[in-house]
Amino acid sequence: MGIVLCILAIVAVALNFQWGSGGMVNFGLAGFYTLGAYTCALLMLKAGGNTFFATLGAMAMVAAASALIALVTIRVTEEDYFAIVTLGAGEMLRLVSLNEDWLTNGALGLTGIPRPLASLVPFEYYHYFLLALGAVLLGGTVWLLQRIGRSPFGRIMRAVREDDVVAATLGKHVLWARVRIFAIGGAFIGLAGSLHAFYYQYIDPTQFSNIVIAYAFMSVIAGGRGALSGSILGAAFVMLLLEGSRFAKDLIPALSSDQLAAIRIIIIGVGLILVLIYRPQGFLREYQLQVDVASGKMKT
Amino acid sequence: MFAQIAFNGLVTGVIITLPALAVTLLFGVLKFPNFAIGGMMTVAAYMVFALNAQLGWPLVVAAAIVAVVFGGLSIVIDQLTFKPLRDRGGITLMVASLGLGLILENIARVFYGNAARSFAYELARPFRFLDIRMNREQMIAMIVAVVAMAAMYVLLTRMPIGRAMRAVADNPALALVRGIESPHIIRWTNFIAGVLLAIAGVLVGMDRALEPPVGNNYLVPVFAAAILGGLGSPLGAFAGALIIGLLSELSTLVIAPNYRIGVPLVVIALILVFRPQGLFGQPYIRK
Repeated sequence: MGIVLCILAIVAVALNFQWGSGGMVNFGLAGFYTLGAYTCALLMLKAGGNTFFATLGAMAMVAAASALIALVTIRVTEEDYFAIVTLGAGEMLRLVSLNEDWLTNGALGLTGIPRPLASLVPFEYYHYFLLALGAVLLGGTVWLLQRIGRSPFGRIMRAVREDDVVAATLGKHVLWARVRIFAIGGAFIGLAGSLHAFYYQYIDPTQFSNIVIAYAFMSVIAGGRGALSGSILGAAFVMLLLEGSRFAKDLIPALSSDQLAAIRIIIIGVGLILVLIYRPQGFLREYQLQVDVASGKMKT
Repeated sequence: MFAQIAFNGLVTGVIITLPALAVTLLFGVLKFPNFAIGGMMTVAAYMVFALNAQLGWPLVVAAAIVAVVFGGLSIVIDQLTFKPLRDRGGITLMVASLGLGLILENIARVFYGNAARSFAYELARPFRFLDIRMNREQMIAMIVAVVAMAAMYVLLTRMPIGRAMRAVADNPALALVRGIESPHIIRWTNFIAGVLLAIAGVLVGMDRALEPPVGNNYLVPVFAAAILGGLGSPLGAFAGALIIGLLSELSTLVIAPNYRIGVPLVVIALILVFRPQGLFGQPYIRK
């Protein structure tokens, strides 16, 4: 449970970096997440890599794919068009995982993915180890992305988000900034995908439906757009909703597992729209530098 | 072989025209891409399924009733979901529409499960013409879509409500000055989009099997068609849909059929890089 929360939180923080801070909406998230999980699993199974380099490989792969997609913003920078491109790209990646049997084993999926340090950590404690690993990676992701967000590049990101024409007028290379924003966020979506592969040890295309997108957007919006650490709270909120909806099974015992899964998605969707209508600012606010007039010092 | 594939592509294109037109009308008036259209097509198709296959009504009657009811329903959906968000910017509306699409698809799943279903109607032998095999479903889809397009053309160019819709799409402030009330136009646009999506849902369900993701599977081609034609341009949506349909099917001559969806994706990417206004859109001006 805890590890699933860590994975979702990493995806949400990465999305918040791309969309919340950088203004690049990512509706292909599920596809990039799939790409990360499959790259990691394939590097482990077919290339015999170790878990560390497989994870790095997955991050590099998703970053490269994301950078490529970000290039379409060269002329049209409206978010709605970019959203459609990412949606299509995500769908394409999912289709590759489903149809390239020689590589991904198609609908059967990949099994027996080795876990990191499995030989060193005793089996009965392994779950806790993985949870700790997930928590550390989540903490590292938030720390690193926040550092980037508060660096000069972070200010370029927000400038590009707010008004790319102004950013370009100030001599900032908007396309290059967009490519980097999307690639950095993509790398951490790849990290989450790797964790997914390690945790489940078995991946198949049905695990990566578009519902991941709804979960991630819900986490970002509930946590506050642009507030990276808020996304962890948002992800916890989503998990709470998901766990809470298990009670639907007790209320109406006749529900099948398919129906139950569908009801949980409906709950998340309704929650998403309600949060958008009634609490669009989310739990936390975005980091901002402010000048304290009395002392003349900068504060956050 | 080539002629057969081209014919299939033409049918796919004609089916896509209806949702592409809905997308373009909604975008023109409301200024955001509505990703819920896939879920709306699915729900409408299942409503028709309920009347037709479960209650035994003739398919035409069921489809006609559902089209009108669904037009009303799409006004209700818009009032509940998008109206409170109207002045929050396109992205918020877009994310809300994505959530709404997931909700609608899964409502269909709660009631009917994941199994593929089909409408109840008499099967007929395919009809052959110059070595091209034409299913009756394909013929029906062509006729229905062409009639719907003709009706839309008359509505948009000859009737006051259609002209008002185009006026609001073109310049909401100017339309308001001329006494066109946009809430009224928004309701009409949603009604018409609902009718178009319901008909499209039935055609798609006839063309392939009826299952919950059926509508959302068409999202990328439909948006590709609308963008290719220039978002907001009804005539462009028609041309864009035919081109996307033809290209997607013809692509199966060279690439694996499973990757057909790559064609609309590549088309969107190329259009955005080389001709952002689409084939028939207004020249692209950054505001």
